[in-house]
Amino acid sequence: MNQPADEKNWVGKALPRKEENRLLRGRGRFSDDVKLRDMLYLRFVRSPYAHARIVSVDISAAEALPGVVCALTGAEVVAQTQPFIEIGPDPFAKIKDYPLAVSKVRYQGEPVAAVVAQSAALADDAAELVQIEYDALDPVIDAEDALLNKSVLHDEAGTNQVWNGVFEYGEVEKAFKEAAHIVSIDRMHFHRFSSTPLENNVVIGCWDPKDERIYYECNNSFPSFAIQFLAAHLQVHIDRIRVETSDIGGSFGIKITSYPQMAICALASKKAGGRPVKWVETRSEHITSSAHGNERTFRDTRIALDKNGVITAITSRHIDDCGAYPRYEPLGCVIWSQVFAGVYRFKNARIDFSQAVTNKCPVGPNRGYSRMQHLWFLERVVDICAHELGIPPDEMRLRNYIRPEEFPYTTPNGCVYDSGNYPKMLQLAKQRIGWDEWKKKQAAARKEGRLVGIGIGTTLDSGTNNFGQSQIVNPGLPYSGNSQGANCKLDIYGEVVVAVGSCPQGQGHETTAAQVVADVLNIHPDLVTVRTGFDTERNVHTGFSGTYASQFAVSGLSAVHGAAQKLKAEMKRLGAFVLQTKENDIEFGTGAQGPELRAKSTSKSINYWGLANLVNANSAALPEELYEVTLNCRYIWRAPFKVPDKQRKYGNLTLTYASQLHIAVVEVERDTFIPRILDYVAVDDCGTVINPPIVEGQVYGATAHGIGAALMENCVYDAVGNMLTSTFSDYTPITAMNMPKVKYDHIETPSPHSYSGAKGMGEGGAAPVHTISAALQDALFAEGVFIDDSFNNADSLFRALVAKEISQVGKLVKVEKR
Amino acid sequence: MYPRAFHYHRAGSLQEAVTMLSQLGDDAKLLAGGQSLIPLMKLRFANPAHLVDLNFVSGTSYIKEENGSLLFGPLTRHAEIENSALAAKIPILHDCAAGIADVQVRNRGTIGGSLAEADPSGDWAVVLMTLSTDVRCLGRNGQRTVALNSFIKDAYTTELAHDELVSEVTVKMPPKGSGGAYLAFKRAAPVYPTASAAVQLTMEGDTCKDAAIALGCVGLTAIKATDAEAALRGKAVTEKSVAAAVEAARTVADPQPDMRGSADYKRTLVGALVKRAIAAAVRRARGEQVEVNHLYA
Repeated sequence: MNQPADEKNWVGKALPRKEENRLLRGRGRFSDDVKLRDMLYLRFVRSPYAHARIVSVDISAAEALPGVVCALTGAEVVAQTQPFIEIGPDPFAKIKDYPLAVSKVRYQGEPVAAVVAQSAALADDAAELVQIEYDALDPVIDAEDALLNKSVLHDEAGTNQVWNGVFEYGEVEKAFKEAAHIVSIDRMHFHRFSSTPLENNVVIGCWDPKDERIYYECNNSFPSFAIQFLAAHLQVHIDRIRVETSDIGGSFGIKITSYPQMAICALASKKAGGRPVKWVETRSEHITSSAHGNERTFRDTRIALDKNGVITAITSRHIDDCGAYPRYEPLGCVIWSQVFAGVYRFKNARIDFSQAVTNKCPVGPNRGYSRMQHLWFLERVVDICAHELGIPPDEMRLRNYIRPEEFPYTTPNGCVYDSGNYPKMLQLAKQRIGWDEWKKKQAAARKEGRLVGIGIGTTLDSGTNNFGQSQIVNPGLPYSGNSQGANCKLDIYGEVVVAVGSCPQGQGHETTAAQVVADVLNIHPDLVTVRTGFDTERNVHTGFSGTYASQFAVSGLSAVHGAAQKLKAEMKRLGAFVLQTKENDIEFGTGAQGPELRAKSTSKSINYWGLANLVNANSAALPEELYEVTLNCRYIWRAPFKVPDKQRKYGNLTLTYASQLHIAVVEVERDTFIPRILDYVAVDDCGTVINPPIVEGQVYGATAHGIGAALMENCVYDAVGNMLTSTFSDYTPITAMNMPKVKYDHIETPSPHSYSGAKGMGEGGAAPVHTISAALQDALFAEGVFIDDSFNNADSLFRALVAKEISQVGKLVKVEKR
Repeated sequence: MYPRAFHYHRAGSLQEAVTMLSQLGDDAKLLAGGQSLIPLMKLRFANPAHLVDLNFVSGTSYIKEENGSLLFGPLTRHAEIENSALAAKIPILHDCAAGIADVQVRNRGTIGGSLAEADPSGDWAVVLMTLSTDVRCLGRNGQRTVALNSFIKDAYTTELAHDELVSEVTVKMPPKGSGGAYLAFKRAAPVYPTASAAVQLTMEGDTCKDAAIALGCVGLTAIKATDAEAALRGKAVTEKSVAAAVEAARTVADPQPDMRGSADYKRTLVGALVKRAIAAAVRRARGEQVEVNHLYA
């Protein structure tokens, strides 16, 4: 090795990514690259209706087409499976969710049948030959309408309300009685958008009739969750399901809910006699029917403030729209409460939270899942109160932020914010964007009649969930805490090999895991091989393993660190025996024969090969008292959580709270109404940074995703449930052409809850959605516009500013000054 | 998705392609750049039984200057026009070519294919309508020349017979003192514009000697805004005359509401684009180097 042998502290260094060589040269291995012998191809036949009764399904013509092996219908699925597990309580626990529609379709794009053929093109041909007769029903498009139950989606539930709960803390009535100002907001709306991974969903399923095992090669991003659903649905032992993932071209959470398609590939394989069946999702399928983010409506919001503009209480009614089937829901009904108070100090609040099904694509956890909707709500509240009371938005935030000396801070609902310093982030962001200069430019621009606004968005990216919060939505659920597994070993020839139960999609896990192990063993990270990608048979997963919810830096790397330390302890013990010295005389380093252990007192050494050989291939030389040394160490990291109080909805729901403070300067052009980002700064705090460029890359990615969401990306349905944005011509994901130059900076407030001080990150709290809304609010308040929707484009701004059809402050916001 | 099965025919010459079309009948389509046809086939919205591929016909991609005109081969890619110094002699052509969709589309898409497709949201027809443009058509009975204004008849409908193809596009060089600009608003690079405006002005001092104004995406075809032209022609280009032209353009626009925007918004937008394009055209007519870029969300 050319590298210095004893360099320490790889954690924190800008080490180039180990996976770069493979991924940037086009040498990645993705699920669609995998071709198995006798493989068949599957195509779904999807509903053109949003809500209809299925009168008949005729697959005979499709099955008769030469090259078609079989077709599947909902009726066949029902005969062979149990409905999927429902996470929520009754009455929604009673609904029957199957991977193919059975008697009804409930969203446009819902799979009704599947055809399996020798080629993908033949499968497409066969899909056109499936004859389905529908009897249209009244569609339910809006979540508030859904709650009226005029047309019910799931007869077994008898209602469209999936869940309802009141989250109340503190002394709400007293706070309103004592308030100096009360601001009321009639309605706000967080729009439906999704993620656009470069790689769509892919599943290869093989149900081998010889040993009754189901093998999957797929890009599901939370396989340990998927196998729990699949085992119960397909009625097989969970041990009989093997899931492997390869490189994954992005997930953003959306690939968590691909288990229905996984079920169909297995059933199709079984029907085809055990031949592997591959399904590759098309882009339009991805946009219309993979999963969308949660849409949410905020009604009857009331905010109590004291005379200084300090918020003392909030009450509101929130209605979440989860689409046609709850699937991962109603977890979103509690996950938002990880950030119940956002970054603010108010103690008294009552949120009445409901979730409804509608005839739209089911939702799935989309980057910033369930929390960004609530954070956007809080930021809108803070901004409209600031504008109405004439307090500058930066000052308003300083008055309401949780203070640096208050950490660890316990929120009204019992969450413990580990660390943070929001005023410092604000100060840094203001400095980086040139706040005072922009204020002057803004004043000058306004004199010319230009609509320029400066907006602040402060957000949280809560990471490492306490799954005990699932018991708040359904007290009967057997889940709590969080854990992750890793294995660290010296292989027979002494190579350091780490396996971890994550399935990275660009987050650089190979690199950061190697940095952690390199520090423990005092070797160069190049000497550490990291096996990522899920494989049930690698035996490093727990029930929570996967890559989601901003946690690898905490749960994944803590598991890796634990496993490496276990290995180190064994190596020390073995080394002391071989070098005939005491364990505390052993030193780790790299010598002429590679990485080695040295006795400080005698300068004798043994390299890793020697150690590994003794245990693995020369075991007669090993004394019996060292038989328990395996150099193959599995470690399960567990998060220090308790089960929350289900009645009070109180407890710590997340381990770490990374924060983002963004500032945007936006101008709405007077003639075209195009919102232009004139300047943008993103300040991030994810505690101790393990690899700066990886963090910075995640910040840029999350920022792009958020800017896209704020200005370009919107899942639009018409009144009868046709999705109007089913291709990239209408669902316009952000590209480099639309990205402003983003100024990046960061502070570090180390988390006391992770061994390294790192916090989970990567979701970015959808910071730009709040930030751009704030900037638009600042630009347009004087024009009588209230930014009541998270999606704003030239057309909607025109309708607010010129036609005055929507978003009018006068109609939506009332201020009562006492 | 994959297209339905089809027969593939590779033409060796444009004349052979015409013969193939005439023999294969209505179920045959020409494949030029394929940037509209192939996506439509993949979505199975278009299911031709035969494709006649023009991409292997030599000598169909060129830009030449002859007798005061620029001549474009039918398969000249947008990217070739974007990067051509010759085409840049008419700056509005560069505005158009450089702003079509994204790099991948520009590398494949062709000027002939774009005109023959006559998509209401296509860029070339809008721009070429402000110049003196002829479309050379080759059929069984040989060549004929059709002025662009009569070539495009309706949405997706042209003067071409089924067994006829575009063999060349001829654009007359504008006179001295003429300048033009093309501006579109696009919600994202690869998508069709929400609205677009092309303006070509011939100036004499501050007076507009001649004006050509065309609007895109606000009607079934590109719209020649003749009242807007009249509002400028023979007049000084002032705030007042420009406002009159913009108002005339807004009036003649006939937008439909869709995912790109409401009809009222598109009308407002196209007015703004006309105004900005006039300003750039005037400066270019004076010989100034002006960079014109589309507006993106």
